[in-house]
Amino acid sequence: MIRNIGLALLMVVVTCLLLAVGYATSEGVNRSAGTPEGAVRSLYDHVRGRDWRGAMRYVAAASNTDERTFAKDVGGSDGSLRTFSTLQDIRTTVLHENDNDAMVRANTHWSSAVGSLYDTRDLHVIRENGDWKVIWPADKSPTAPPQVMAVNFLRWDIIHRAAGDDWASQDVAAPNARIMNMNALQHDLGNGLQGVMIVGEIENQDTVPAFVSVGATLIGKNGETLGEESSFDKISHTLLPKEVSPFRIDFPGVKLSDVKKVTMQPNALLVPASADPVIAVLHQRIETDARGHKLLKGELVNQSGETVNIPHVIATYYDDSGKPIWVSDGYVDHALEPQIPVPFAVDVRDDVGPNPKFRVTVNQYSIDRQGA
Amino acid sequence: MSAAGGTSRNRYGLAAALTALAMLMAHAAAAQQLRVPDHVVANAGATLTTSGDGSATFYLVGPGTALKREVKLGEAIELSGADLRNAGRYSAILKAGGNAQAASLLVAPAQPAAINFMARPSRVPVAAHDAISGVAFVFDDYKNLVTSPAQVTFNLAVGDAAPITRKVEAREGIAWTRLDSARKAGAAQFVASIGDTNVRRVVQQVASDPCGLRFHTAPAKNGVTVETDPVKDCSGNPVPDGTIVTFVETDGRTRSTVDARIKRGIAQAELPAVPGALITVASGVATGNEVRLGGGK
Amino acid sequence: MTFSSPLPSSSRAVIPLTAILLLALAVHGPLLLMQLPASSYDANTHMFFADHYAHHWFSPWNEKWFGGFSQTTYPPLAHQWVALFSHLLGLTYAYMVVQLIVILLLTVGIFRYAKLWVDERSASYATIAGVLLGSLALLVYQSGQLPNTMATAMALNALPYFYRWSRSSSGSALIKGVAVTLAGAAAHHVTLLFGFALFAWPVFALALIDRDREGKESSVAGVISRAAIFAAICGVLIAVVLLPYFIQTIQHPITQQPIPHGSRDNYLKNFLSGMNFWVIPYGTLILALPFIFTRGTRERRLRPLFFGWWLTAMIGLGGTTPVAPVLLHPGNAFNILTFERFTFWGTIMALPLVGLLAAELIDRYRTRAVVGLWIAAVFSCAMGVAWMTIKPINGSPFRVDQVIAFLNRDDHSKFRYITLGFGNQFDKVSTYANAGSVDGTYNSARLLPELTAYGSAQLYNAKYFGSAGMDSLRAVLKHANQYGLKYIFVRDRFYEPLLAFAGWRPAESYDNGNVTLWTKDDVPPAHKLEFGAAPPPAWQGLMWGILPVGASIFAVFAVLFLPDRRRFVEPLNFPAAATTAPEPVLREAK
Repeated sequence: MIRNIGLALLMVVVTCLLLAVGYATSEGVNRSAGTPEGAVRSLYDHVRGRDWRGAMRYVAAASNTDERTFAKDVGGSDGSLRTFSTLQDIRTTVLHENDNDAMVRANTHWSSAVGSLYDTRDLHVIRENGDWKVIWPADKSPTAPPQVMAVNFLRWDIIHRAAGDDWASQDVAAPNARIMNMNALQHDLGNGLQGVMIVGEIENQDTVPAFVSVGATLIGKNGETLGEESSFDKISHTLLPKEVSPFRIDFPGVKLSDVKKVTMQPNALLVPASADPVIAVLHQRIETDARGHKLLKGELVNQSGETVNIPHVIATYYDDSGKPIWVSDGYVDHALEPQIPVPFAVDVRDDVGPNPKFRVTVNQYSIDRQGA
Repeated sequence: MSAAGGTSRNRYGLAAALTALAMLMAHAAAAQQLRVPDHVVANAGATLTTSGDGSATFYLVGPGTALKREVKLGEAIELSGADLRNAGRYSAILKAGGNAQAASLLVAPAQPAAINFMARPSRVPVAAHDAISGVAFVFDDYKNLVTSPAQVTFNLAVGDAAPITRKVEAREGIAWTRLDSARKAGAAQFVASIGDTNVRRVVQQVASDPCGLRFHTAPAKNGVTVETDPVKDCSGNPVPDGTIVTFVETDGRTRSTVDARIKRGIAQAELPAVPGALITVASGVATGNEVRLGGGK
Repeated sequence: MTFSSPLPSSSRAVIPLTAILLLALAVHGPLLLMQLPASSYDANTHMFFADHYAHHWFSPWNEKWFGGFSQTTYPPLAHQWVALFSHLLGLTYAYMVVQLIVILLLTVGIFRYAKLWVDERSASYATIAGVLLGSLALLVYQSGQLPNTMATAMALNALPYFYRWSRSSSGSALIKGVAVTLAGAAAHHVTLLFGFALFAWPVFALALIDRDREGKESSVAGVISRAAIFAAICGVLIAVVLLPYFIQTIQHPITQQPIPHGSRDNYLKNFLSGMNFWVIPYGTLILALPFIFTRGTRERRLRPLFFGWWLTAMIGLGGTTPVAPVLLHPGNAFNILTFERFTFWGTIMALPLVGLLAAELIDRYRTRAVVGLWIAAVFSCAMGVAWMTIKPINGSPFRVDQVIAFLNRDDHSKFRYITLGFGNQFDKVSTYANAGSVDGTYNSARLLPELTAYGSAQLYNAKYFGSAGMDSLRAVLKHANQYGLKYIFVRDRFYEPLLAFAGWRPAESYDNGNVTLWTKDDVPPAHKLEFGAAPPPAWQGLMWGILPVGASIFAVFAVLFLPDRRRFVEPLNFPAAATTAPEPVLREAK
């Protein structure tokens, strides 16, 4: 009998061993809180699956926060960019650790509706009832008091020429938008990639709103095209009268010394637009973070009555002669509630000087203001 | 324009070729005679006379027209206005038996009765030199370009201000002019007229860059309110609502900016109240006054 | 209710193949007539390929995806048969009819394959189980893998010929086996590379074991050499029939980043993947696993089948065990392949043993066993079909007619387009729209650097691939002007922020606001893209249009008209009863 089923048993054992090896070596949800790092990773693993209740098991009671507040903080609310994001990856580093508490730096990588987002948080981890738990500071964002805000901002609509009009009757002319200044630079474009970068500013010089985009073509010494790129999202596309937007066009892998000519293609269209919202950029300053990187920080205040879901901060830096030398941008993952300041921070190139001149503009996406 | 001209040339070319062909045929046999009037106006109709006897087939080929009719030789051929509505060269062919005779008929445009008027641009800053152009194409009632000389009057007027008038002789059916924009903003009525016919276009004359931009401050609940005086251009026209006015507050350490929109001629924003901070204002390339909080202007 | 009544003698008889085919027709016919696969993952992709063949039989270059790609990157047989039928039935019904024919061929194949291992009665039970396999239901109705099922059907039908040729050097078996193998290879490349190998080596081992059975006196060397000859002939002919495919593969090897797929998960850690790729496909076959292990290892003749099944099942477990990652490490195959097809093959390999189990259960428990087995088999199939409703792969239905109409009017086809949030309805749009897209569903044919450099599949599903997907979408949108990409149809508002920030504007909406068209006004008309891909030369198009479908037609003729075995005529003395020799047994030649 044993001989008859011996091979079968062997194969069952081999199969079980393979399953065990597979289980031990594959990735999955971390459920360990045996170390400070483990607790942080476990918390974020549950955040990845938007399992707030599961994540709360790794939040220390001392945090004095509840599941709803935690979910709002981590998962976002009001159509903010965080609500359009999923945790992609997390890297943790223990900054210091003793028997009862530790500081863990969590570098998170989020996949969002506008591309990858990176976030760094230094989390205080303490031992609570034998397990490591994360102190998650309760989000104490103020809320605007109930009030009625009269909204009487302008809106531009367009009546285009009708199909039956005679051929000489003209359509409304396109707005007059002009590139005010620009500069071609050789620089690291991020991820260690070298290339040519064209930065500049474009102004809507007209009295009607303009939908602008800027393209550029690099021509080599023999007349060959070295690259053709556009400003993509490094520009505010909708410009109100006299509004100025910075733009940046990247040409990865191209050397400035190979470029003979740059052809710019600004494009402006007349589009229906609204004059709101007004977003104030307060307390702009350049600071150095814990890693030694310079950051341009400030606060955004939505001075209108309707929520701005995704703000996009674009900063232009100038040299002493007023020539633009860098444009950096960043999406803010919190929505702008009316009258509530929301902090922002964008990277600053280290070589722009100790006190560079800069200008910050804010672009925005609001769900309720879109639509066909 | 060039396409229209090309089509017209094609029509004439075709008519000429047919005429030549018909004349060759007519040379071979001249049993019947066809006579056409020297001058025909579009839509006026015409009478063609024939000689000989018997029956024949009459063909008329011209711009946008081709007709065939059985006629009796020796009787007149009546062509209605509708048959000759399009100006240009027509070929009339009379064919009897194996013989054919052809004649060429030139139809001239009728009196000017319509204008196609192109005014550029649709929007122009005030007090700009030669900034507005107008081109008028003169047509008769039947969409024939009137190539004979005709005087076109261009008239540009804003509100109650005295209009600017130019009289221009149309050449080959086209008259054009360039005009300065007025100093006063508003919807300019740009009219091209010929006789009793006129066509109106609207050229929006808009304020130019702000001029003499000034603002003042007032304390507010959460900071300081900054508000411009009515924003006007150098001609005194109010800058359109919606135009961006940027307020910048610097306190030596931080900076705050608001891109305010002009609303009812005034731009207003709220900035943090930081004692000693300097507030400046700008709109486009125009800059205004400065105010130091807690200090003198 | 008692089940102790003796079974009628008919219950121990072989169930005729014709009856099983009628069962297959009864089960799958209505489901296919309901066009259930039309909402599967891949069916629309195969219809897209077929539609191209229907209009351009000899030109495999298709401009509608990826800015232009060659259809020689995918064996064409299934698509070409759908294309041929589409002229009579329309594209969707043509697909369904071809799929139904494939299921019938698969049924025949399972029967013939099972007969190699077990007696005819057990084989008939195995075939019934095959008709009601959960993995087959999933593959047909959820995955829409017509080419895979077609190639598997061919492989199963070719194997008995391979076995007979290897044992008895039957010329007709060689010709038929090679012809059917060729047809299978012309239907699906992954089945050719992996399925044929996994199915063939146990049969080869069986031929070695059976070399001197039934009076045959074959040597080991003879069996090995004949198997080698079979493989060599197949190899050469496949190389000829699929030459354009191999040229394309050599010119443009798959170097793109791995695209995540649930079948590569550890099923023990990912419950949903485990259900989708193992529990539902196996269905009630899971209950037979102890029997498969014990009987498969006990009998010498069944051991090759057991080990073949075991290996295939282990690979089918994807990332659950290290088997697939280790074995398929070369060429990064683990990260390119998906493993639901291995599970499908595994379940088919298990069927002969399941047939044996069924026969034994029926012998022992009679009617109770019959009822239980029927319930188990029907449950497997029902769960496979129902799984699509329990875990639907598509969101709420929506219409794409207006999208297609927009692209086909007013010269809009001068520009390229993509869809976002359309799921597999993109395939339908691209099948019927004249405009081209930079997106596409068949990942292996992609050459655009913005698509291959990121570990994501289709742009229309970009968000499901996380950062890789969104970064790939960003990269494509950045080069919209170069690609003439003017129109983006959005059915998922998730994508709107990116479009708004990148310079697109909403223009029109369709299907009661379900779909919004976003446009970018400064995009010039599309032009031919220069990214390394070029239309195959005309001779390749000619080969592609003739040889694969020719191979399948030849296989049909060979199987139908080439006699299986030489008939011996031996005079018997009359009266026959007087002879002492055993009576000749007259059996229908199979």
